[in-house]
Amino acid sequence: MIDWISSHIPPWLFILLVAHFAILGTVAYLILLERKVASWVQDRLGPNRVGLGFGIIPVVKNWKCWGLGQPLADGLKFIVKEDYRPKNVDRILFSVAPGFMIMKIIISIAVLPWGGTMESKRTITIPASTPDITEYAQHQITMGSTLIGSPVLVAGSADQYQITYRYAFQIATLNIGVLYILAVLSLAVYGVVIGGWASNNKYSFLGGLRATANMISYEIPLGLAVLCIVLMYGTLDLNTIVVRQCHNWGHYIPAWNVFSQPLAFVMFLVCIHAEANRAPFDLAEAEQELVGGYHTEYSAMRFALFFLSEYAGMITTSAVCVALFFGGWDFPGLRGPAGNPGLSDSLILCIIRAVVFFTKTIGIIFVFMWVRWSLPRFRFDQLMMLAWRGLIPISLLLLAMTAVVVYLSHGQIYDGLNSLTALTLFGANLAATLLILIISRLIPPAPATNRKLQVVGSRFATTPLPAGLN
Amino acid sequence: MKDSDVIMLEEPKLSLPDQFYLPQVLIGLGTTMKHMFNVVIRGKDRVLQYPEEKREDLPVEKGGMLLKTYRGVHRLNKDEEGRVKCVACFMCSTACPAHCIHIEAEESPWPDREKYPAKFDIDELRCIYCGMCEEACPVDAIELTHFYDIVGLTRQEMIFDKSKLLQVFDETVKAEPM
Repeated sequence: MIDWISSHIPPWLFILLVAHFAILGTVAYLILLERKVASWVQDRLGPNRVGLGFGIIPVVKNWKCWGLGQPLADGLKFIVKEDYRPKNVDRILFSVAPGFMIMKIIISIAVLPWGGTMESKRTITIPASTPDITEYAQHQITMGSTLIGSPVLVAGSADQYQITYRYAFQIATLNIGVLYILAVLSLAVYGVVIGGWASNNKYSFLGGLRATANMISYEIPLGLAVLCIVLMYGTLDLNTIVVRQCHNWGHYIPAWNVFSQPLAFVMFLVCIHAEANRAPFDLAEAEQELVGGYHTEYSAMRFALFFLSEYAGMITTSAVCVALFFGGWDFPGLRGPAGNPGLSDSLILCIIRAVVFFTKTIGIIFVFMWVRWSLPRFRFDQLMMLAWRGLIPISLLLLAMTAVVVYLSHGQIYDGLNSLTALTLFGANLAATLLILIISRLIPPAPATNRKLQVVGSRFATTPLPAGLN
Repeated sequence: MKDSDVIMLEEPKLSLPDQFYLPQVLIGLGTTMKHMFNVVIRGKDRVLQYPEEKREDLPVEKGGMLLKTYRGVHRLNKDEEGRVKCVACFMCSTACPAHCIHIEAEESPWPDREKYPAKFDIDELRCIYCGMCEEACPVDAIELTHFYDIVGLTRQEMIFDKSKLLQVFDETVKAEPM
């Protein structure tokens, strides 16, 4: 049975199923975590009543389990609620928008590097008359795996060969992984703007417009911050980027990019907050001004899909953040052989790596929530100013500095940073920060347009009121 | 509005860390982390787990509630012979600012008074628990008890009739004698 599975079903299919359901299941619990974090910040305890027995199941009826049943009860509520559609909405687009949102999240998990490369061995039977046994063995391994070396004859048998093959412990082995993630995540703006427009509601529409402007603006510094890392390693493959972070500087400091490129990390973190449309960048759904933003008119499961995709989007962007800046699954003790730290011949090790990767991701998500319940929302002009006057120039400067360091290292940097280059990059980051601090003191402040609107009739108006209106 | 009435406020000057924004953000994050630490690690939340813990069990100095002075659901008092004390004078329903008391008077079967309430309904959903009825009553027949957690599944259930109000008396007379 196990033989049949390993020879017919590609391993990425299992990873796909596990990752998919793990992420969608985690999303429900992230909502619980969000509510818990919110209450802890406000000196409360959060939902703690609905246990896993829901007050119905006999033995565990009264166990409260810190409110762990709450997400399940919420999900059930979303399913059985009335799915109300207002009268004058665009019927097709109204239904397409939430589906679109959830779709892009589901496909965006395809390239996350869960655990390096898995090396596996299997014994196959090759008929004696086969002319080219290597080519025969090629056909015996599943899609997505590569054969290593040529089949070795098992001692004492005539046609039993042992083959060694490797597969990446991720769903899709894509050598443009970073690009793919950026492309897919920027599709989110379609879901938001279609949902806002199809609702036939001015608040939804305004929310959709704001989200569009927000996401498009922050896409630029996000891409530039990622580009700094891509430039250092000369690859767009997330797995390779992770593997090249798997060594130590000196003896103790792990070679994670957060230490060599702290400024890029901060910019990336700010940008993924804006990409996820979360506080302090949640103008698209500013409750106080826009009712609920682009999902005002949605209810029941359609609303739940929007909600789900927000949290699932957080998981994806945080996972990318971990892969780029925190060494992915890298942790002392989980590295493979010195030459190729991503390699592993044990499935258990790969799973532990995936768990480590996911734990780090949850850590970043906690930062998301922590920030949300600490900072007030930006005004829209402040939001735009931060992106166009702040983040984009800074990231361009940083990119230029990284490029200089990469040029000076004559390409050696591609195989992983040595401690000297890392120190140089860290110095470049510090220098960039200082330069920004000095320059930002010199540039004149932005015009205070939003504070003194020259609307006719207001006290800032330069044109007098028309006669008769005084 | 005249120009002289307008008070022009200058924006407060930002300090250096304010201008760079991020230092102040970190200070703010520190504040919220302190609160999280206090709640999660040290257990210093400000929550009262309501049905299990109640405010009246706490001393007043610690945020407790003095039940003695609390105005909750009404009761109709009984006299020594177990008859309803009310004489159907309509003072309470006249005094009621929410118009939630409905009395129907009939000739009393007892010799010591002229009328007694055949019907006595209080709509506990309309009532604002001001206690005016209690003050208006000349024979101390209607009183507000300390019960506050009354619930019902329908509006009809929350209209308390005479028997229910007398039942409230039976239940509370020990804790709160007349």
